[in-house]
Amino acid sequence: MRVEEALVCLSCVVGGALAANAPRPRGVSLDFAKYYKDTTTFSCISNPAIQLPFARVNDDYCDCPDGSDEPGTSACAHLSPLSPPSPAGAAANVALALPGFYCKNKGHIPAYLPFTNVNDGICDYELCCDGSEEWAGVGGVKCEDRCKEIGKEWKKHDEARQKSLGIAARKRKELVTEAARIRQEVQDRVQTLKTEIEGTELKVKQLEAEVKDVERRERGKVVKTAPGQKGGKMSVLVGLAKSRMAELHQSLTRVRRERDDYSSRLQELENLLMIFKAEYNPNFNDEGVKRAVRAWEEYAARDKEPLVNVAADIDLDEILKSDKDSGLDWDEYEGGEDSETDALYTFENYLPPSIRSWLDQKLRDLRIRLIEAGFLADNSGASTESKALSDARAQLEKAQQDLENHREDLETRNEELASKDFGPDDVFRALKGTCVSTDSGEYTYEVCFLQQTTQKPKKGGGHTNMGNFVRLETIDVDEELPANGKGLGSGRRLVMRHEGGQHCWNGPDRSSSVILACAEENEIWKIMEEEKCVYRLEVGTPAVCDEGGSGSGRANDASAKDEL
Amino acid sequence: MSRGHIPSFTWANIFHLCTILCMLITPAVMVKHENFKTCEQSGFCKRNRAYADTALSTSNWNSPYTLDPASIKFNKGVLTGTVLKKLATSDENVRLPLTITFHEAGTARVTVDEERRQKGDIELRHDSKARKERYNEAEKWAIVGGTAVSTGAALSKDADQGTTRVLFGQGSKFEAIVRHAPFGIDFKREGETQIQFNDRGLMNFEHWRAKVEKPEVAAAEGSEENQTEDTAVKTDSGEDESTWWEESFGGNTDSKPRGPEAVALDINFPGYGHVYGAAEHTGPLSLKETRGGDGKYSEPYRLYNSDVFEYELDSPMTLYGSIPFVQAHKKDSSVGVFWLNAAETWIDITKSTSTANPLSLGIGNKVTTQTHWFSESGLLDAFVFLGPTPQDVIGSYAELTGFTELPQHFAIAYHQCRWNYVTDEDVKDVDRKFDKHRIPYDVIWLDIEYTDGKKYFTWDPMNFPDPIGMQKQLDQRERKLVGIIDPHIKNEGGYSIVDEMKSKDLAVKNKEGTIFEGWCWPGSSHWIDCFSPKGREWWKSLFRYDKFKGAAKNMFIWNDMNEPSVFNGPETTMPKDNLHYDNWEHRDVHNINGMTFHQATHDALLARDKDEDKHNVRPFVLTRAFFSGSQRLGAMWTGDNQASWGHLEASIPMLLSMGISGYPFAGADVGGFFGNPDKELLTRWYQAGAFYPFMRAHAHIDTRRREPYLAGEPYTQIIAQAIRLRYSLLPAWYTAFHEASTTGAPILRPNYYVHPGDEKGFAIDDQFYLGSYGLLAKPVTKEGEKGQEMYLADKEKYYDYFDYWMYEGPSTVKVAADLDTIPFLMRGGHIIPRRDRPRRSSGLMKFDPLTLVVVLGNSGDAEGTLYLDDGESFDYKDGAYIHRRFHYQGSTSTLMSEDLGVSGKRTKEYLKTMEKVRVEKIVVVGAPDAWRGKTEVEVSEEQGGKSSAARQVELEYHEREAGKAAWAVVRDPGVQVGAGWKIAF
Repeated sequence: MRVEEALVCLSCVVGGALAANAPRPRGVSLDFAKYYKDTTTFSCISNPAIQLPFARVNDDYCDCPDGSDEPGTSACAHLSPLSPPSPAGAAANVALALPGFYCKNKGHIPAYLPFTNVNDGICDYELCCDGSEEWAGVGGVKCEDRCKEIGKEWKKHDEARQKSLGIAARKRKELVTEAARIRQEVQDRVQTLKTEIEGTELKVKQLEAEVKDVERRERGKVVKTAPGQKGGKMSVLVGLAKSRMAELHQSLTRVRRERDDYSSRLQELENLLMIFKAEYNPNFNDEGVKRAVRAWEEYAARDKEPLVNVAADIDLDEILKSDKDSGLDWDEYEGGEDSETDALYTFENYLPPSIRSWLDQKLRDLRIRLIEAGFLADNSGASTESKALSDARAQLEKAQQDLENHREDLETRNEELASKDFGPDDVFRALKGTCVSTDSGEYTYEVCFLQQTTQKPKKGGGHTNMGNFVRLETIDVDEELPANGKGLGSGRRLVMRHEGGQHCWNGPDRSSSVILACAEENEIWKIMEEEKCVYRLEVGTPAVCDEGGSGSGRANDASAKDEL
Repeated sequence: MSRGHIPSFTWANIFHLCTILCMLITPAVMVKHENFKTCEQSGFCKRNRAYADTALSTSNWNSPYTLDPASIKFNKGVLTGTVLKKLATSDENVRLPLTITFHEAGTARVTVDEERRQKGDIELRHDSKARKERYNEAEKWAIVGGTAVSTGAALSKDADQGTTRVLFGQGSKFEAIVRHAPFGIDFKREGETQIQFNDRGLMNFEHWRAKVEKPEVAAAEGSEENQTEDTAVKTDSGEDESTWWEESFGGNTDSKPRGPEAVALDINFPGYGHVYGAAEHTGPLSLKETRGGDGKYSEPYRLYNSDVFEYELDSPMTLYGSIPFVQAHKKDSSVGVFWLNAAETWIDITKSTSTANPLSLGIGNKVTTQTHWFSESGLLDAFVFLGPTPQDVIGSYAELTGFTELPQHFAIAYHQCRWNYVTDEDVKDVDRKFDKHRIPYDVIWLDIEYTDGKKYFTWDPMNFPDPIGMQKQLDQRERKLVGIIDPHIKNEGGYSIVDEMKSKDLAVKNKEGTIFEGWCWPGSSHWIDCFSPKGREWWKSLFRYDKFKGAAKNMFIWNDMNEPSVFNGPETTMPKDNLHYDNWEHRDVHNINGMTFHQATHDALLARDKDEDKHNVRPFVLTRAFFSGSQRLGAMWTGDNQASWGHLEASIPMLLSMGISGYPFAGADVGGFFGNPDKELLTRWYQAGAFYPFMRAHAHIDTRRREPYLAGEPYTQIIAQAIRLRYSLLPAWYTAFHEASTTGAPILRPNYYVHPGDEKGFAIDDQFYLGSYGLLAKPVTKEGEKGQEMYLADKEKYYDYFDYWMYEGPSTVKVAADLDTIPFLMRGGHIIPRRDRPRRSSGLMKFDPLTLVVVLGNSGDAEGTLYLDDGESFDYKDGAYIHRRFHYQGSTSTLMSEDLGVSGKRTKEYLKTMEKVRVEKIVVVGAPDAWRGKTEVEVSEEQGGKSSAARQVELEYHEREAGKAAWAVVRDPGVQVGAGWKIAF
């Protein structure tokens, strides 16, 4: 029964008490009272053909095949598919006709208690706050009526819960709004991107044309010089050498960094193994461990070159000093490159500047015509390009890259808009990347919505990925709800599935399920390692609340009480 | 430690690297044979097998042992004398004092010691501090009763020449014929030889001798391992001396300061085709031959308590515990031998068939079972039981070594275990889930991870911050917690337990006499020496509530690893030259070691509650290692089995074997420890487990969770039915435990025990009877099986427990067994008590009414007993119990309840608490046709010693239909369980 019904029932009890004067037999709720009206004969509820003297109702002997003659005792508690079969049960209907022993719980919410719990010597106050189920005083037990205090307490909690649910629902609204805004943002961005793509496409076209043009012009040059450079073969050579050196320098630095990286990682691993060897459990049982240790011992025993050859490293330091420090000043070579001999052959230099440029232009035009006609070989493309050309190309490449990026961006955004599941109302869009964490045992656990779950040792050390978000799912849960409402309750719940986390010693890759229930704040309630490296986290978040503040997003107290 | 539940990042890294380093490893789920010795690798085993081979292949073999007739004395049931061992190399004889004790109970005990060592007149090598005597304290641990010396035993005058004849036992129907030369003994019952000692001349008593240093031997010393025939050194006498001194195995060298000192004897059971016992092994109940051949083992049965990882099935290999007791059985006759020796022991078994005795007419071949026992050190000390019934033998053995202590009632209900429930919240969660799914359970268990870094008597502060709160929740439903406490104590500074143990000098020592250090779960560890009285006293103190903080009164203990398991020791245990209290070598006491620890914990739990507040409840301690006598201290389980059909199947003969070995409180891990059982296997395992005297589900840390409610339908429902079946039969189980605690009778009874005259059933070990109730079960242990062939030994009616389908013996019948069905029959002639109301735990059934099932068979009579008490205290010793015999007499059609109890000072008080507990229902299965139409029975109760006026109670009669028996129900007779009454049908 859900809370609504239970509340209805509460009123029934009140109303019923006024209306009905014949007392109901022990354990019978108003819903079933009609079957117990006749006080001379009782007909089993599911098998009305079986009739008993009314004295056999609640006489602590199970007569009816459906147990309906014992609403107030445990005599028929064995009628259950969970009990071993019996000849009596095999023929008849073993399903109990009654949901349980009815506790009136005056001052609180009435509830049904499993018949197995009637007169077992335990006060089941969680369901039966009035203690009415222990009427026989088995083993001397006395269960006083605690409904007043329990009801009061429950009410207090319930109010707090309702209030909290209200807040949570509002928060969810905000989240949905935020999600919509983000979605709008994405959509806007999509529009922008489309426009930008169009623009970029145009630009790319223009630039392509320009590059062609520059290329055409460049072909005319015999020797290209970068603008601002005085130019000359030596200069080109020096330029090349310099850039080559810079490249080598860069590469060497990178390689060395990588090497240092690797050697420190190797060192770390060797240290780990050393500790492993010293501290491992020499349990003969674990052949894998033993072999690993043996292999390590062999490895460790091998004569090894030191990881870094110190002398060679000093050389490297030398090499990596800036060129100036090594006595190599590129500027010297670049600056004074215009050698006199060279100039002698460059007769243009002796002409007045105006004629020089005219002549130059003419010669170039001629040269281009000759090349285009196939009389002269094109010596431009093979070696280096002029600054003008490479600039033009760079611009084109950049434009092309931009275009590519925009297109990709557009695609992912479109895809995201069209198919990615952000949950009902897109609500998780607003939470993506939001992280919550909590301490449990020796670890801190972190859940980042739609990203991953992580385990962080409190004592320090590396973090462990417990799985990356793969999808949203739903499962049915049925849990008790603690008084503070921080629990899953029962019903259908959203789950964030995380898979492919760090691999587990002797086990699978870690994975985790984050089961969500409505709460005022994003918070982790409970972490369980359900089985080796398979985690279950119970997390509260306003994102899964219902607008109304109750219902499918979470359980409510009464439904937990009534579940039977 | 490496198996911590949530490996850290670092560990994962190491794992990756390991994977790389040892890529070629394929993990095989199989015992590591190289970790355990074969007979060939165990010096004294090899020597004694060789001795047997020589003896048996030599015609006119002359056993060199003679009893000096002049030395024989007989006084008040004790015969003493000196056995002389003739040496090949000298004229001097080795003097071996012999004692044969005849007990009032009809048992005989033969003890042979070594005079020179008794006097301490030997030298030890390597400056060893070990004792010089042969270990003579095994009886201190194993024997608790039945040793009253017989007053009636007497020398017989008409002994044959060269023999001494002693008559003993009730009515002098037993006799011992002691042959002087070669020394040997024949034990007879009613003139017929049942047991022969040294008949084949394999007796071997390795007397102490000084090592004669020879250069080549000295050279061989450094590299003893795998000494082969080539390097074998023969002494002048032709003996192979190669295994006399230091012995190495798996990188450990045993210094053997006393040299060779084995004792061996051949024991024949002429005319006996079956021997049982020698637990604990995985093979069939009826022991196999061990000297090779088709379907036989080639290794002897070994008894050397060991932590055998992933043990294999159908093997004579040693396991966790040892009971050196065998019973031989033939048609209508059982006899037995108990070899009281705590050192490493091997038993070879062969059977010889002799053609029929020409004097007996037309009787077929006669099988003789020949056993050959050899122990590495200690006394030659053997008890003989002459039967004639299986119960006579088992009962006498149990009288000597003690009966199973009547357990607390919860202990025979369902236990839920796992390595590990990881936090106190986890425990509470599992606890709630059982209730939610309406599956009863009584006990939840914590494996090693609950401790703070494997330091026993501590709690992991992160994961178990509130142990008391956790136990309180359990207690609300009368449930219990069992926590593990092992004998290895972490060697870590600042750990008060280890500090105390060291400062008080209570740990086991190494051969140098300094504290022994080895590896177990916590890493470097020391071992408590429970042979030491001070050690046990100290151990006792550790369990006091003020000392073991966080343990509540509903917490009990699990002793694991007490073989002892030492990860880096030889054969995963302690070096044999370690020294225990009083300087006994570990070699001498190994098989008892586990029991001393179990005993210390048992006594600690007793003291805990007595000291605290005279709470005085019965202890519960589960042990893995055991020896004869461990049954007095609590339950055992068969160790680390696997989630495979084979292991499920093997569990039944293993538990039957424990039952007939005087240790009935035994179980196997339901579901299988290693690996993940599929749902069918898990379900079938619960159905079998419902019949384990100790019913506990357990699982390895690397397995998936498998609590019954996780299985899903229909499995969960079927499992729940099996558990509820166990609970409804708890009155029968408890009564069977009571019987075991007073007579030593097994709880699960093999066919031969129940039908000792039925030769066809002697090897049957896949079905069993529960207690004295004629309840015959054959749980399904094969995948996909839909039915079971059940063997019905006698001419009697059997009824299906669940639907009263009728079978008639003797025959083999096919019983349908879909997944939801357990093949389970009721034999005619019994009355079975039940409590049918399902509760959350057995503690909550205490005041529930009972149902009696009267099963009528061919005789028309039926009987059964019921024992009840408060289920937790020792008040039953003061008469606080109900013990009734229900008897239905066919001729008068009456059912009566008679008192079997003896009143004590607490009887009245207890009966008062049970006043309202009534019999709510009597079901009569196989109801006579004459009852057709009967609607009433007449009930009269005993009140103040008189019978009350009869009252009429309704009877409901159900006609027989389609193969099913007629049955009748007496509706609510309302008679008190604790009072006398009579019902006339």
